[in-house]
Parts: sequence; C-alpha cells; structure tokens
Amino acid sequence: MSPDTITLSSVQNRAQERFTESGWPAKKSEAWKYTSLDALASASPQPANDISGAVAMPAGIAGQQSRLVFQGGLFRDDLSDALPAGVQLVMLGEDERALAAIDEIGASDNLVPRLTVAKMTAGISLRVAQGIVVDRPIMLQFVGGAPATASHPVIHIDVGDAAHLAYAEHHETDNGLSAPFIVVRVGGGATLDHIKLQLESATTQHLGLTCLSLGERADVNSMSLSLGGALSRLETHVRLDGEYGELGLSSIYLGKNNQHHDMTTRVAHEVANCNSRQIIRGVLDDKARGVFQGQVRVAPHAQKTDGQQMSRALLLSRDAEADAKPELEIFADDVVCSHGATVGELDETHLFYLRSRGIDEAEARAMLIDAFLIEAVAEIRHQGFADLFSPFLSGWQVPRKG
Amino acid sequence: MALLEIKNLHARIGDTDILHGINLTINRGEVHAIMGPNGSGKSTLSYVLSGRNGYEITEGDILLDGESLLEMEADERARAGMFLAFQYPVELPGVGGMAFLRAAVNARLREQGEDEVDQLGFVKLVRAKATELGIKDDMLKRAVNVGFSGGEKKRYEILQMALLNPSIAILDETDSGLDVDALKIVSEGVNSQRGPEIGMVVITHYQRLLSHIVPDFVHILSAGKIIKTGDKSLALDVEENGYTDLMENANVA
Repeated sequence: MSPDTITLSSVQNRAQERFTESGWPAKKSEAWKYTSLDALASASPQPANDISGAVAMPAGIAGQQSRLVFQGGLFRDDLSDALPAGVQLVMLGEDERALAAIDEIGASDNLVPRLTVAKMTAGISLRVAQGIVVDRPIMLQFVGGAPATASHPVIHIDVGDAAHLAYAEHHETDNGLSAPFIVVRVGGGATLDHIKLQLESATTQHLGLTCLSLGERADVNSMSLSLGGALSRLETHVRLDGEYGELGLSSIYLGKNNQHHDMTTRVAHEVANCNSRQIIRGVLDDKARGVFQGQVRVAPHAQKTDGQQMSRALLLSRDAEADAKPELEIFADDVVCSHGATVGELDETHLFYLRSRGIDEAEARAMLIDAFLIEAVAEIRHQGFADLFSPFLSGWQVPRKG
Repeated sequence: MALLEIKNLHARIGDTDILHGINLTINRGEVHAIMGPNGSGKSTLSYVLSGRNGYEITEGDILLDGESLLEMEADERARAGMFLAFQYPVELPGVGGMAFLRAAVNARLREQGEDEVDQLGFVKLVRAKATELGIKDDMLKRAVNVGFSGGEKKRYEILQMALLNPSIAILDETDSGLDVDALKIVSEGVNSQRGPEIGMVVITHYQRLLSHIVPDFVHILSAGKIIKTGDKSLALDVEENGYTDLMENANVA
C-alpha cells in the first residue's frame, strides 16, 4: 500500500487511536459544559453488528421521496429505494475523497468524528453529479435498533457544482446511542435543502454531528427539530469556503419530562461576502433542559460578512431550564454580525386576551406556542419539508379540542 | 330574571382593596354607563367581571342569568356570553387574525351546541362585518392587533363582539385613543349591536362617548363604590361640573 492510499480501515484505525487518546469529553470541557455524557460513557452501548428492532417505516412526503433505510444503524440496501438519475451511491470505503474529508475532520478535537468513524456500523457515500437537480427528496431513515446497542452511521454527501439536492434525516431508533456523522460538501453554485427530525425513543441518547462546507455561491437552507430522545445533542459545523455563500441554519427543540436537548452550531466565515442566518426556538416543559451554543467565527479577510443569530427559549414550567451561549469571534472589521438570546414564559396578558374570547387554556397556550415557533418554521424553504415538519409541532402539544 | 347582577362586590389585588361593595343590576336591552375618575376601580371592575386572574373577590357575587360566575374561568364566562372590549387590545405576534377569530367563534358555538362554522362561510361572514366597521381586508390577514393603529384596534374589538354575539358586553374605555371620526365609526358599530337581547356596560372617563352611545342609566364610580345613579343627564352634569362635587356630596352623605 502506497503512503498516498487512503483506505477505510486506515481512517477507522486513526479515529480509534484519536478516540482512545481523547476519550469522552471531560466534565470541565467548555464545549460540553452543559451536556454531560457520564451516563452514556458508563452505559457504553456497543456498536450494532446485527440487524435488530422492527422497521416501522415512518411516513414521509407521500410517494415523493427516495428512501435510504438504516435499521439499528445498519444500512438496508434491500429496503431502500432506487435513487434518482444523477445520484450515485457507493460504499464509503470506495470513495477516497470522502474518506479524506472524514479523516481531516477527525483530526480536530471532536467526539463524534472519532467515536462514530471508529465504531462505524454503516458507511455510505452519495454523489449528486454536477448540474443535477434532484426533485424528489432523499430521505435517510434511521429506525429499529435496541437499547444495548449503538448506531454509528457515517454518510458523506457530495453535491456537485450547480446541482440541487433536498435531503431529510428521520431519526427514530430504539438504540441506546444513535450517533450519526454526516459530512456534506456543497459545490459552487449548488443549493441544498435539508431537514433533520430527531424523534428518537424516550431512552435513546442522540449525538449527531453534521459538517457542511459551502463553495462559492452555494446556498443552504437547513432546519433541525429535536423532539425525541432522553439526551440529545444536534451539532452542526459549517464552513463558508467560497464567496457569496448563503446559509440558513435554523432549529427548534421541544422538551418534556427530563429531556435534555443541546443544539450546538459552529459557523466559520472563511471568506468575504457570505451571509449566515440562524433562528433557534426552544419550548421546555416539566423538568426539561435546553441548551443552545452558537459560535460564529469571522476570519480576518472575511469582509462584508453578514452573520445573524437569534435564540429564544420559552419555559412552560418553573422546573424547566434553558441555557444559551452565543459566541462571536470576529477578526474582520467590515461585517454585520448580531446575536441575541432570550428566555421567557408565556405572557399572562396574551393568555387572558385569548381566554376572554372563549378559547380554553389548553388551546390558548397551544396558539401562543405555535406563534412563538412560527418565525423559525417560516425559515423552511422546501414546501414538502415544511409540510412534513409542521405536524410534529402540533402533535407535541397538549391535544386540542375539536 | 336580570341578565347580570353584581351583588355587594368586594375585590382586591394583592393587599390593596379596590372594589368596596358594588351593586348593579343590568337587564337585557339596557345600556349602563359607568363613569368615574382615574383610580376609581373602573378597569378593575371590567377585569373582575371578565374573570382575569390575579383579582381576589373577598365578598359578594356576580350572577349571569342567575348563575354565579365566581368559579368560572375567563374562557368559560366568555362562552357563557360575556364579552370584554379591552381598553388596550393585546398584540399577538404570530397568531393569525382569521385563525384567532374562528377559534373564538367556534368555541362559543360548541358551547351552544351548534355546528362550527366552515372556513369559507366564516371568511364571508367576517368580511361582511368588517366592511361595516371600515376594517380593511389586509388587517384581517395580519397577526392579531399587530401593526394596527389605536383606532383599528378598537374597531377590531367591536368586530369580535359582532362575531361572538354576546349577551353582556363590557366596553372598557372604548373611546380612549380615538379621534372624532374613529369614535363615530366605533360607536355606530356598537349601536348596531344594541337590541332587546343584549346588555351593555360602557365604562368611560368622559361624557363624549355617551353622546354617541346613549345610555339608559349612568352610574358614578368613586373609590370602588357606586356613589350616584341617574339617567343620561348625569353624564352631562359630570361634563359640566367634574367629579369633585359628586365625590364630596357622597362623602357628606
């Protein structure tokens, strides 16, 4: 084997070495300040090597998607749909460029790219050829699994120059740990629509990392919903590598009982003239906890950057808690960047106004929660994704009358 | 049977007693004006009647059609026929106006055991009533009260009243913030809803509203009590001489 050759096993071995060296995040680690993985580290669910759990196929956009099915962390080619013309699927080991990208991310200190690559349960690479427009969304559906096992899917997606891709992730496993690592390269002038639905079982811990890089004039519209799981961290890293890149990166988390939702984003403006816009909304009931950590870094030469970030949390219970840690690191001088974070409760005056019109308390609260979320929901550009997304929001709430 | 009976009503917020024994009987078809200076308890009375949280009723009762309202929440009272037109209508960003109106009307219809309105029929009904009140179509499409002028907010209150068809309507300082033209439109909207089945309580500081919405009875509220009751000429008397004389006479009495 020549030293230039990169193979899946060499990448996995390096990931294992790195994970052995760094281990689980330390308690005092700044990046994991609000989210403890102690329970996970001690339970230590083992990577799935057999298909387990039932495949209950979640509803998608009626008849309008190509599904790729992962059962308990393993790829089920036999249950998956044929992909549209211009989209190629290969096993990860056969895609050297993808392996190199994954290896490079693993070199920087981070948990998921090490753990998940080392313990990989499935690895695929999707390539959307240059100029191809994929009308039918690709749905990555993660189902099945068992509490004692962990799923570690690694997925690389390459959206060729001037191509368009819409893909959705639907995570609804019964695994003890569900830790998907997804790397997406969005080529020059390409557009990407993305939604992620985190609907894991009540006992699942979900640690997902998605890394996006945007070429010149690339345009990404991404929305994540964190609704399931006992503890979850939806982490997204974005590099704006080409000028005139456009990024919309929004998320909603809805927490009940003792759920813990962590939404962590890291957006790096590496070049000039790019826009990023993040709208984060969280609603927390009972003893749920929500965390938003948002880092925006503007490199010294990334002039004319417009970076906006707004996080708002709504607490429905005295025992719920929300933490926000926005971080702006700006090294350029000609930029427009802002961030804001608020935590509040439902306004008594608003509730009274609705109730004075005969609307009962449950419905009035539901209307105000919907109103609180609507600004984030409105960020979803892809109509099919918006339609898929909305029922989860109303379904989460107290059932309405009539 | 009287429509609304307020019997020896005492109420407080926190440690502050505000209403000190109000007695008032309103029959169907009657319009009662309650006038009083600032701080006399006018707004408290409207909130206590409509069931806002935070007010403690220490004595007395409120009966609607003979049934006590005290144990009923604000939404239950509204469905039973109570309507409060707010002095300061509340802006609800993100709550679509049409969805709001429909939720309110359907809640009342369900209570009355009637079928809910279908969307198309409802839009037609709202448009017709809105036109009478000079409410433009684009206002109906916006979020509730968001971006409305003071006059538009008041018209929107009267639109809600027209759609909900209450048996008792409390208009809390509906004239505040209105210019002469807006006052006229709002008053016409209210007058068009007067009739033998509805009772109205018009709360106001000034007489000017009462020359548009002419009351059958005028009550002067001072320091949480009704100190004088008369007909519409009492309002003119207040306009002429102010509240001070009346309050002094009441103290002497």
